[in-house]
Amino acid sequence: MKFPLVEPGTVGPCPVAPDALQGIVRQQTNPARWNGAGWDAFVAEMRATGVEVAESVATRGIFATDAGGTAYGMPHGVVVARSAVQVSVLLKAAQAYRVPVTARGGGLTTEGESVAYGGVLLDMTGMSRVLQIDREAMTVRCEAGIYWHGLAEELRREGLDYLSAPLNMTSSVGGTLGVGGIDVNSARLGCSADQAISLQVVRPTGEIVECSDSENAELFQQVILGYGQFGVITEATLQIRPYTPLRMHYYYYSTLRTAIEDLQMLDSNDASDYSGILTIMDCAVNLLVAFDSDEREAAFTAKWKERLRGRGELGFALCMLGRYALRPWRFGEALYLLNRKQAVFPEFRRPEFHRDGRMDDRTVVFSRAVWKHWGSRTMVIPDLATRADQFVEAVERGNAVCRKYFRHYTLYCVGIKLRADHAPHYEMSCVPPGAEGWAYGCEFEPMIEGEVYSRDHFQSFKNAIYDIGVDMGASYYRFGGMMKGYIRRVFGDALVDRHLAMKRAADPAMILNRDVIF
Amino acid sequence: MYSSAHPRDHSACSGCSLCRLVCPMWRSRRDPRYSPEGIAKARQNGATATELAGVLEACVLCGACDPVCPEGGALIDMVMELRRELAPDLPPAVAPDAEPAPAGALLLPGAVLRADPALLSRVLELLGLRCATDDGADIALALEAGGMIDPARRRRFLDMLDGRTLVVGDGLLLRWLRAALPGARLQGLGEALGNIPALRRRIASADFYVIEARAYHADHARLVAHYDVLRKETGCAMNLDLQHIAIPACDETEARWMLKGRRPARIVVENAAERDILRRVADVPVLHLAELNGEAAHA
Repeated sequence: MKFPLVEPGTVGPCPVAPDALQGIVRQQTNPARWNGAGWDAFVAEMRATGVEVAESVATRGIFATDAGGTAYGMPHGVVVARSAVQVSVLLKAAQAYRVPVTARGGGLTTEGESVAYGGVLLDMTGMSRVLQIDREAMTVRCEAGIYWHGLAEELRREGLDYLSAPLNMTSSVGGTLGVGGIDVNSARLGCSADQAISLQVVRPTGEIVECSDSENAELFQQVILGYGQFGVITEATLQIRPYTPLRMHYYYYSTLRTAIEDLQMLDSNDASDYSGILTIMDCAVNLLVAFDSDEREAAFTAKWKERLRGRGELGFALCMLGRYALRPWRFGEALYLLNRKQAVFPEFRRPEFHRDGRMDDRTVVFSRAVWKHWGSRTMVIPDLATRADQFVEAVERGNAVCRKYFRHYTLYCVGIKLRADHAPHYEMSCVPPGAEGWAYGCEFEPMIEGEVYSRDHFQSFKNAIYDIGVDMGASYYRFGGMMKGYIRRVFGDALVDRHLAMKRAADPAMILNRDVIF
Repeated sequence: MYSSAHPRDHSACSGCSLCRLVCPMWRSRRDPRYSPEGIAKARQNGATATELAGVLEACVLCGACDPVCPEGGALIDMVMELRRELAPDLPPAVAPDAEPAPAGALLLPGAVLRADPALLSRVLELLGLRCATDDGADIALALEAGGMIDPARRRRFLDMLDGRTLVVGDGLLLRWLRAALPGARLQGLGEALGNIPALRRRIASADFYVIEARAYHADHARLVAHYDVLRKETGCAMNLDLQHIAIPACDETEARWMLKGRRPARIVVENAAERDILRRVADVPVLHLAELNGEAAHA
């Protein structure tokens, strides 16, 4: 068999039929390490222009892996971003010397997308200040390396809040805008990237450009959900809103299908301000519903609450008691559920984070719980993003894969409201082709719990999930890095080649975030 | 979920960066090396204490990183241990010539409070305690600077305090005593003063209350409830971030960040050293908790 030649830093045509690999165990593969040609001259030029390049192992080691903890790579040097001008100088030199530059915010990727396999690691958290809060326009201008949590700290003091952000305190604004970002209010407000009004971007060739839907719109469309391929976001203007604590309700289900149907019913009727599903395996399925105001909560109580088929905590506990009493051979599972409940539930109800029955900050509460009870030194979180009508099937098939590969796992499902005017942003992203109104995403996260699994076991698990996506014509949130082999299979050659041509035009030496997508 | 079998030293760090969010030295520099995560990762890659000297000296030992670490990492212990490696030649803590400690409950004021005799006198009156003649100031200094503590000195000091009720003014010493005297009844100065009803009543909703960070973070799980009640009772704002971690007024930059967006009528502090720093950056009265009302002790 003859394979076509593949240029480094590109994605070659996929020689594999869409269903050829299903069920076959596969191995984790990392990109080749950059060979370091021209590094010394590049560093000398950087230092001559006053840019510090840290080359000690101690500094480089901070970035040896990402939140996933399965991909490892060492940069040749680290640059802490300080200004758009400095990033511009860096990228211009990197183009000239063909040095790869990997931009990193919170480093919360799981497929090695923010790991540098040689070259420069550009740590964007050095640019993490709030620049201006405009109360009249209800916007904030900030440096893009800021953590959403850092932004929240400043906005709250003014009684303000961002619209939506990942439920993880160490997600950065720039990283999130580059991939989308989902929150439990995304079914109402869209993905986190949708709140971006304008950006300052440093192109891969070093030009500093302001862009928005009305100014340099093509660049804006490329960079939003562009997986870092078309520029480094250095500043962002975001929509904001008045801060409100939220009132949370929890409903418990014993089947995924019923919970998902209820979730979608709430979303399509705009019945709540926040909604999402978080599970303990597929046995205890928690639909969370929350509100910003008493009025919205009252309207929900009057019209929608009784249509939900989920139970309250006590009713569900009795239901489970009866269920496991009739199935004593599943005592181990019941014990796990009970232990998990006792460990996790108090975390969501800590009194210092609540006032008068309202939760002060959802991100703090959820992020603390996630890191404490779901976090691990290794985190593998394959996902599926589908049209609304495909979602139940996708989750049920993914759930079967989880059961096959791991003893315990968690599913996290949320809707994303799509904006018709943002369709160009969504191209070749986590938003699945053909989705209208809402897209739905599900993350499948195994609980590692101190167990030791091989990286190939994880890889096979991810592949088994992603093969479902290929089969269903879905998309993924995490299709870059180690999963980039799916890009052509999912998006098709025509779309990928068009984006590749755009990438080559924007980044002639293909240095920016190499191997994330291209 | 992190396994309880994992070690709690630098090797446990998985790089979640949660400690950066609360770290004063990261906040002022925005440099990943200047954070507990940076130190832990550097250690994982073989860095020595000498290579990390600049970072270790920059750490203010506020302890904010410990309660937020999902691995339950003892990050302050890591920094203090590295400081000891860095300064092996410091003379060990030596016992001062002190009279035997008075019987009963004691106040260990610490160097800062002892340097302000009027305030110390007011604190003693409010608490109704006697002052320890040996308050372990040399041990507190050794803990801060990375000096050694002579075992005989340590034993004598702890023997003197064991089984007593103690109010400790130095947050770092309090943290050390919690580990060394698990059976003792220990309180930080802020908590002890804050439990006096007459003083609590003097805290107004327009006040900005500055919790002493070291004492607070050393016993965070318990004290978070104490201060939550105080906040709800009085309606005052506090130097707590969204995670309920205390922002220390360790320098003027941090003090300005602490006050950014706040418009208090008055600032109330637990730590006299922070009072002096806040007075330099705030244009409202800054008082120590014990100064709220001179007659409070008799109320």
